[in-house]
Amino acid sequence: MEAGQAVVIESPPLVTPEQVEEYLGWTLKPEGLCRDERCVLVPDRDALHTDDGVDLRVVTDLLDRPIVVDREAGLVAIGAERSQRLGAVRDAKAPDFSLPDLNGDWHSFADHRSKKKLLVAFSSW
Amino acid sequence: MIAVAIDEAVDTIRNYVNDDTDGIDYPVLIDADHVLTELYAISNVPTVLLIDEDDNIVQPNWNAYASNTFTDFHGIDSERQLDAIRRWVRTGETMMSADEARGAVDDLTPDEETAKLHFRLATHLRNADDHDGAERNFAIACELAPHDWTIRRASMPLRGGNPFGEEFFELVAEHRAAGRPYHGVNHPGVDES
Repeated sequence: MEAGQAVVIESPPLVTPEQVEEYLGWTLKPEGLCRDERCVLVPDRDALHTDDGVDLRVVTDLLDRPIVVDREAGLVAIGAERSQRLGAVRDAKAPDFSLPDLNGDWHSFADHRSKKKLLVAFSSW
Repeated sequence: MIAVAIDEAVDTIRNYVNDDTDGIDYPVLIDADHVLTELYAISNVPTVLLIDEDDNIVQPNWNAYASNTFTDFHGIDSERQLDAIRRWVRTGETMMSADEARGAVDDLTPDEETAKLHFRLATHLRNADDHDGAERNFAIACELAPHDWTIRRASMPLRGGNPFGEEFFELVAEHRAAGRPYHGVNHPGVDES
């Protein structure tokens, strides 16, 4: 799956720093939330990391990703970084994504770079 | 060509592929979580995009058809659209300028964005046999994004309804009354001039 792609997690909104890394690919470091070369500053570390754990709602806010918590079901849905969709609608830059085919093999949109692409969204409904 | 089914009905999609007499030599991907619709602000199908070698979207979200099966219903002549696609493939001629392509699609509203997450929660709960939890989230999603067919219509078969039945025609009427909102562009595929 694409790092930064939408996920649904079986979890309460408060998690360990290790789980943040596992679910979202971002590591909590002294300099901020980091992934590869990128770091996002954490202005209020106490709000992010309380005694009860790291709050995914604060993490996703910093990463500009939407989040919905279903406490009754014990699930958290986290969307993609909004900048990706804004890149598509505002700058006409196609964001990357990875999805499985009918055999369960994953395909990445980026594999088709340097080709003209016809992207078709369809359905059975 | 990349085909993405905004759908969890893998077997139905597999039958489409197997029944295609011309054979399909491009990837057919399954997007049960509606990852693509969130990333590209897609609110209905079919939605087609033309994307160039450098990943520039030269034709944003476009309501285009591969055949005239439903032309009586939507009034669009697919032949003109297919011609426009062929022209772009052969000559690079686009239907919109780069400037026009930028900002041609409205971003999702915050409610529509949230709705897509609730839809995703609903399908996960449905797969886990938590039907109350699924229904709770489907209901919220549909309320937040009443004009998003990838939520309203896609949820019909998942909630025990019929996406080609009475509720579909109710949705059509509701959508028409609201001025047919669509995150994308409607044009026939040829310059009117």
